[in-house]
Amino acid sequence: MNVVGYAFEEAWASVRRAGRSAAVSIGTIAIAFLTLGGFMLVSVNVQRVLDRWLESAEVSVYLYDDLSDELRAELETYVRQQPAVAAVEYVSKDKALERFRADFPELLDVTSSVAQNPFPAAFEVRLRPDATGTAAVDDLTTGLAGRDGVADVRYDRRWLTRLAGLVTTAQVAAGVVAAVLMLGAAFTVAAVVRLSLHARREELDIMQLVGAPFSYIRGPFMVEGLLLGGVGAAVAVAGIALLFTGISRWLGSDLAGLMGTGQVHFLGLREVAIMLFGGLGVGAAAGTVASRSAR
Amino acid sequence: MIETQGLGKIYGRGLHALRDLNLTIEKGEFVFLTGPSGAGKSTLLRLLLLQERPSEGDVIVGGRNLARLTRNQVQAYRRTVGFVFQDFKLIPAKSVFENVSFALRVLGMPVEQQRRRTYQVLKWVGLQHRLNSLPEELSGGEQQRVAIARALVNEPHLVLADEPTGNLDPDLSLEIMNLFRDINASGTTVVVATHDRELIKWVGRRVVQLEHGQLAGLPEAAK
Repeated sequence: MNVVGYAFEEAWASVRRAGRSAAVSIGTIAIAFLTLGGFMLVSVNVQRVLDRWLESAEVSVYLYDDLSDELRAELETYVRQQPAVAAVEYVSKDKALERFRADFPELLDVTSSVAQNPFPAAFEVRLRPDATGTAAVDDLTTGLAGRDGVADVRYDRRWLTRLAGLVTTAQVAAGVVAAVLMLGAAFTVAAVVRLSLHARREELDIMQLVGAPFSYIRGPFMVEGLLLGGVGAAVAVAGIALLFTGISRWLGSDLAGLMGTGQVHFLGLREVAIMLFGGLGVGAAAGTVASRSAR
Repeated sequence: MIETQGLGKIYGRGLHALRDLNLTIEKGEFVFLTGPSGAGKSTLLRLLLLQERPSEGDVIVGGRNLARLTRNQVQAYRRTVGFVFQDFKLIPAKSVFENVSFALRVLGMPVEQQRRRTYQVLKWVGLQHRLNSLPEELSGGEQQRVAIARALVNEPHLVLADEPTGNLDPDLSLEIMNLFRDINASGTTVVVATHDRELIKWVGRRVVQLEHGQLAGLPEAAK
């Protein structure tokens, strides 16, 4: 039997012997990775919403009411010629009012009570997908802001970018919390591995005396950490899947409607792989550190 | 085979367990280390097994200076040495067969070879009928025979034994010493530490007497 087979056999026997302390260890790893997985699940869905919003971000060019038809046509030609622009739609004052009434029927009284149509005419500029957030868009908005007849230029992406920044900050904070939890879990795994190391101290001494290679002496403890971490992470993935299924059944349509994405998404293959390999990695690292006392 | 040059071992507070020890043991020799408690017998064996490093001087075994071995080389060296202790050092949860085959298993030997060699050596020490017994089910003499089987299973060039009969009655002690004589007869160098003078007399081999960490019976200048 080679060293890997030996290490797995001994590690599995040790996990079974450890019983309750191994279960505690798996539980702490699972809690840490459940937290990480929860953050990732929220993050994946928020990111999808943000991406969709960012992709459909438009530049709105509001026009003065007294703008002549000639100047308006000139302005439209200018906008269409810009490289970042995919399509341009002119929305007249009347059409803007019509849209508002259609979107907010409960506010009909407000629009009826004012003497004049308060909505400005505008160009709604749809950007090319590869141009969003580039210097070409900045040039477009800056160029338009300084032209005659333009009252204001609004670019959705600016606040979306700020929102994305906030989301990134939240993701980093969540990552830090998850890292702290994982560190705690790693210490628990290391403690459990150390316990089994002490339980086998006599055997280890004899292994050293018969000249067993260090891979045989330490290997089982590294693999024990690996197993605890891997099983803990797998439990966490299963837990997240259960939670997701439950939440999707009860609140799925409401959440999807709220986010406007059609459906709530589960973790992707990449996130699941991060969790599983993360668990294996944390466990193996903890096992390796603990096994260093076997010398 | 074994040569010590100015070998010294100093523990905390300047206690000299061994002091300027110069000793040569030839290949294939059977040597008794004897002397009162604290004379340095066990310390010398621990240095030969590299459980400890010398404080001064050199230990040369088979042409290799043990003080210069790296951690991995120490493990490789130990595979060429068999050891037997007074307290047997058997793994309680493993059977007789497993306790012996364990020494081969951790070296990565194929399973079939492990089994064959383990059975041969257990048969040689007369324990082929106790293969599945746990150490606690054996008498002291049987446990020591398991320890001897484990020491021999790797076919070492050198066997070290520290008070191997310390826990045994006189009849069992003779039985164990006979095994050591047989091991030596096959060409293996054997070093046995004991304070049992009757046993030494009965076996009748070279005796190295230690006292206060030095060779005893030599003029001061020759020590």
